[in-house]
Amino acid sequence: MPFISPRYRDRVDRDDRTVGPGIEVTSGPGRSEVDLVLEAMDPDGVRPAEAIAARNLSLCFADKHIVSEVSVGFPRGTITALIGPTGCGKSTFLRTLNRMNDRVPGFARQGDVVLDGESIWAPSQDLLNLRRRVGMVFQRPNPFPMSIRDNVVAGVRAHRIAKGKQLDVVAEERLRQVGLWDAVKDRLGDSPFRLSGGQQQLLCLARALAVGPEVLLLDEPTSSLDPISTELVEELLRSLTPALTLILVTHNLGQARRTSQHTMFLYQGRLVEHGPTQDLFERPKDPDTLHYVTGRIG
Amino acid sequence: MDLAGTAPTGVSPVGARPARRPHLRRIRSLARAHEHHLWVAGGRAAALVPLVALALTMVVLAWKAWPAARVNGLHFLVASTWKPGSTYGAVTRTDGVAHPVGASYGAWPVIAGTLESSLIAIVIAVPVSIGAAFALTERLGGWLAGVLRTAIEILAGVPSVIIGLWGALTLGPLLANDVYPVIARNMPDLPALRFFKGPVGHGEGLATSGIVLALMIIPIIASTTRTLFAQVPALPKEGGEALGMTDWEVSRRITMPWVRAGIVGAAVLGLARALGETIAVAMVSGSLLNTVAPNLYGTMGTIAATLVTQLDSAFVDGTGFEVRTLAELAVVLVVVLLLVNTAARLIVRRAGGIAAPVGTGA
Repeated sequence: MPFISPRYRDRVDRDDRTVGPGIEVTSGPGRSEVDLVLEAMDPDGVRPAEAIAARNLSLCFADKHIVSEVSVGFPRGTITALIGPTGCGKSTFLRTLNRMNDRVPGFARQGDVVLDGESIWAPSQDLLNLRRRVGMVFQRPNPFPMSIRDNVVAGVRAHRIAKGKQLDVVAEERLRQVGLWDAVKDRLGDSPFRLSGGQQQLLCLARALAVGPEVLLLDEPTSSLDPISTELVEELLRSLTPALTLILVTHNLGQARRTSQHTMFLYQGRLVEHGPTQDLFERPKDPDTLHYVTGRIG
Repeated sequence: MDLAGTAPTGVSPVGARPARRPHLRRIRSLARAHEHHLWVAGGRAAALVPLVALALTMVVLAWKAWPAARVNGLHFLVASTWKPGSTYGAVTRTDGVAHPVGASYGAWPVIAGTLESSLIAIVIAVPVSIGAAFALTERLGGWLAGVLRTAIEILAGVPSVIIGLWGALTLGPLLANDVYPVIARNMPDLPALRFFKGPVGHGEGLATSGIVLALMIIPIIASTTRTLFAQVPALPKEGGEALGMTDWEVSRRITMPWVRAGIVGAAVLGLARALGETIAVAMVSGSLLNTVAPNLYGTMGTIAATLVTQLDSAFVDGTGFEVRTLAELAVVLVVVLLLVNTAARLIVRRAGGIAAPVGTGA
């Protein structure tokens, strides 16, 4: 990877071994492909099994409790769906994971969030680099007012990961990854606002992926998209694991079932239930979960 | 045509009860049926008013100016003389236009003065205004923003004659004593920078005019720009933040480009005001008619200021030639304004290429 600055070579190399075509995976007895990929990402086995985890996390805005004492871990290389009725604190919880709430007036927290074993609020934690490692995709597409190509590499530029002609390489690679390359390759210099909503959201995904994140936070990424675009995005999300750890807030229970391995159910700011997606939907332990997944509350 | 379904006899279709005042009813129903056309016609008429006003102004000005333009010739745009001639003496005729003997007019000094002072004003005002608007919407919160916003609004409402008086009595001398000498002394002695060196005068002149003009257009540009910034949606900015951009990068790469076209428009609004500003400049420029300012601090005049300072003496000219010359000068100002406006539109079109127009996108 000639275009990676030394500062990030480690990081991107590691990602690349898993995302790119050069992954060497030899299957063996009793080991899934996922295990092997995860092992390739972390050959020494020193990284915690949970990419990111909330520990006893409580969040409030101006004395109003939004999230209460949530402890949950997000296993590396999986998709965790975060479901719950409107106003249950899903978005607040998600936005806290890359410190987007820090500057909101009245925001207060107790407890901690750890990324790779280190608190995201630790003084040694560089906020900008934290956001590079924990990316975010929003409810509605939010392209920047610059060309399509510049959108993809906006973060790469900001973090000085690549420059000059190398940016073109990054742009093409990421647009291919999200399946947008063929549609936009002849108009990379055009405004992104003329793309369809689904294409814009894919562009935002490409932009988030371009900086090489470890965790990707998705805040209802398909809520403004049509069914076909939604399917494309879901497929893309599945393809991102196990290289990335995804946390997907969604109102669409079908989407949670289709895409995620784990699901957590938040209700009135509390973590009611958390477990493998199939168990949670088919054998919910809590009556509230049952009511929600069967459509009786929500 | 029976649009409302009202029978011609004036009987309401609902029942046997006769309609009251059938004619009025009929007119009203016709008006309702044709309401759309009324709106279109009314709208067109309203849209024409400013156009007609502009055209009439131009025609009247041109009418007044034409004889002077014939006598003064193209020479008027490049010459540096302003001689009314012997206004109490003999009258002569050129091309059938009567004018005093020895009358000779050239507007180059005031044209240059207009452009120079406005350029200084815009160079100072645009960064200051964008900075102020930016601080207001993005960085300052609470009472401080309120204070700054109120200050800008008050500044916008101060009559220009008061700013001019303050400029002539306080700001000009202050600058001439404490600021200009420092600039003139410390500027490297290069041919390209000669303009910034030399005698600094007493506070009346080009630099003071430019600064006073800047003060007058800052509120215009700042309040327009503030509105623009406030309209930038939060989502793209959050996107930048979430990507690990610094506040500066978010401002520079997302907020500003989002409203770039609008900022150019605001700057043009300010520039037009600066080009046409009259009384404040008349009070601080030194009102020189026949010399281009030799350096940044020299006395000078502008077209607008010349119109107001020369009108009184122009009426002394019994042939009316000087008044006609002033009308010609006014035409020149209007043309300059139109050129600036057109240039700005072209810039906006280019700048707006990729950036989203306000209100679209996310």
